[in-house]
Amino acid sequence: MSLFLSYLGIGLLYTCLLTSVLQITIAKQVNSKLLINSLNLSLVQFISCMLSFLILIYVFLNSDFNFQIVFLNSHTAKPFIYKFSGTWGNHEGSLLMWVLILTIFNFSYSFFSNSNKKLKNMTIAIQSFLIIGFLLFLIFTSNPFLLMDEVPSEGLGLNPILQDPLLAIHPPLLYLGYVGFSLIFSLALAGLIISEVDKSWAATTRPWAFTAWIFLTSGIGLGSLWAYNELGWGGYWFWDPVENASLMPWLAGTALIHCIVVLEKRNTLQSWTILLSILTFALSLIGTFLVRSGILNSVHAFASDSSRGLFILAFLALTLFVSFIIYARNGPSLDQKIEHEFLSRETGILLNNWILLSILFVVFLGTLYPIFTEIVFGSSLSIGPNYFIISLMPFVFILLISMILTPFVGWGSGKFKHIITNIQKPLLLSTALIFSLSIYYEKLSITEISLLILSSTLIASSLKDKFILSKKIFSISTTLGRSLTHAGFGLLIISIIANSAYSTEKIFQSKVNDILNISGNQFVFTDVKQSEAINYNAIQAFFELRKNDKTIEIFTPEIRFYSNPPTVTSETSISHQFFKDIYIVMNIPENQEHINVRIHIKPFMNFIWFSIMMMICGGTVSAITKRRNY
Amino acid sequence: MRDSIKKRFYKFVIGFVVILLSVIIIIFNLKDNLVYFYSPTDLKSMPLNINQSIRVGGLVEKGSVEFNKETMKHIFIITDNKHTVKVEFKGILPNLFAEEKGVVVEGKQKNIGTINAHQVLAKHDENYMPPEVIKILQNNGRWQGE
Repeated sequence: MSLFLSYLGIGLLYTCLLTSVLQITIAKQVNSKLLINSLNLSLVQFISCMLSFLILIYVFLNSDFNFQIVFLNSHTAKPFIYKFSGTWGNHEGSLLMWVLILTIFNFSYSFFSNSNKKLKNMTIAIQSFLIIGFLLFLIFTSNPFLLMDEVPSEGLGLNPILQDPLLAIHPPLLYLGYVGFSLIFSLALAGLIISEVDKSWAATTRPWAFTAWIFLTSGIGLGSLWAYNELGWGGYWFWDPVENASLMPWLAGTALIHCIVVLEKRNTLQSWTILLSILTFALSLIGTFLVRSGILNSVHAFASDSSRGLFILAFLALTLFVSFIIYARNGPSLDQKIEHEFLSRETGILLNNWILLSILFVVFLGTLYPIFTEIVFGSSLSIGPNYFIISLMPFVFILLISMILTPFVGWGSGKFKHIITNIQKPLLLSTALIFSLSIYYEKLSITEISLLILSSTLIASSLKDKFILSKKIFSISTTLGRSLTHAGFGLLIISIIANSAYSTEKIFQSKVNDILNISGNQFVFTDVKQSEAINYNAIQAFFELRKNDKTIEIFTPEIRFYSNPPTVTSETSISHQFFKDIYIVMNIPENQEHINVRIHIKPFMNFIWFSIMMMICGGTVSAITKRRNY
Repeated sequence: MRDSIKKRFYKFVIGFVVILLSVIIIIFNLKDNLVYFYSPTDLKSMPLNINQSIRVGGLVEKGSVEFNKETMKHIFIITDNKHTVKVEFKGILPNLFAEEKGVVVEGKQKNIGTINAHQVLAKHDENYMPPEVIKILQNNGRWQGE
């Protein structure tokens, strides 16, 4: 049975490979009545990969230790959901999922999109090139269907820190984002080759670009939520290379979706949009390369294999080389000069693009500089988070200003008077609000206060026409998506600043019945208990939050002792209140009668997650609404 | 026509100056925030600089882990099997911290041979050894892995 499944799994991958080759050969075919057309073939590509992936899930669920990948990454005594998510919690499985997502985008594009036949066939052919590349990588360096010589009775287990429900869905979402931009890349190259990059190209591309952006945003958000819940450091973003690797394509992708909107509305910025499409996908590949190759010195580092990283690097180099040759040949002739004044929406969006790319540059430099020095000078170093915070501050400043102003500047030419009438009320209101708040709550620096004022002005000016003054409340307008995302971004900045300014933490060495005080909150350490679960033993501590001798809430942080593989983890206990989170984590030092407890008070955490959700909702609205005046 | 060339020239110059300035600021900022990595042996041969944040890595020496109740500090010794560094750390040690296992700490030197750590780096994976520590052990011929 296992032998059969192994052959079937790999056979299906070969089927997909052959279909993809066939797909390229029919790129020029226009008659869609034939049996072998691009839609049918893309369905075959999708189904063969899907079945192959289902087989892998099946052997994981059955704990079939004939398969090497299951032996290395699973265990019979593991909850069902982690057997399931363990399928992509390893290199081979995640790569198969990557290929599957490539075929999903390929198929859904050929099924849903009503772009013209020429562009469609060319796009699918290029997407098939990418599928072939990754399939070769999968089959020849990372075959997930390898069998064991001798069948072991038990597996080695999944790293316990990956056993978290959030981590079951975080990688698929992140991959949907990364790979989603592959379709934009294919569309861009196809448009270049057939020299059709215009309004209708942008109309075709826009929903897909927004889709990829939404997935990437959700993936990053969930990754951050996982780090906050699971790592027990009280933080949600560490400027760690692995995190930066996902932020870089997000920044380029954000610039890209703005450009696509300009292209759709004004039929300008052609070559710039194409360049950004290539850049975004390249950064997605670099992100995968950095995470998978293990050359990063990261807090998220897992034991990994560097020869595999080399393949991604070679594939990246080849893809970039070919794209730039095509770009150099066809790119510059695409541009249509459309006159616009200096004070215009176009200038605003270009400025926003430059700021986003500057932020990208800062992040890129900070992420890759340590690798560069390691290779060139052989010296190991790392870069502190202060580099990112200080370097990015001025850019975020200008970004906020441009986000406030640009929506009120007209396409082609704008009027100062119009801008001023629109932003004066939000600006005055936010200034008054923030100033009075900052007198009451001290500790804020001038920079923080001005960033807070700008962010709240952004929220007020984005939402004012939407919910407060508009007669048709909640009517879906074309600008609703933008308003939601921009207001979400403003709220995100506010929450980040408030969180960093007012977070407090305190470490205690305590015994049962100790009373712990932190910024006005009183905790009583009441008890310690042992408990057992299917795949670990745990020590639970009980802390009661008390007010006037009444227990308000009970916290139960845990230490878990996993047996397969033998690992100790700390589980945090978090209480989400409206304005603040209370976050407790503990551990037990060797040969001590005390336990170590760390209590964090983290204000505005809910608002951080909420603002990311607002951005995702806004993106969704933008993806599904049709443009007027087109 | 000449006017538009002039205009473009000014635009170019302004753009260039702005980009140059920001790159200079970013690079200086980068330099200030670099944290270099040293082995205990490297530290022995270096002049003491108590203001510089550094990272030190090696193995946690067997039997060296202590806890001082008055100062609430964990004290342990990092070794590369040639030289050692004493580490003082106030905080919660990561769960994967153990004697004779690899560790990386970040902090400032207090005096020669002692480092005041503000962070002890945790890793996600019990098989994972920080690449710097592998390098140190390889240099000393003590690396037993592949």
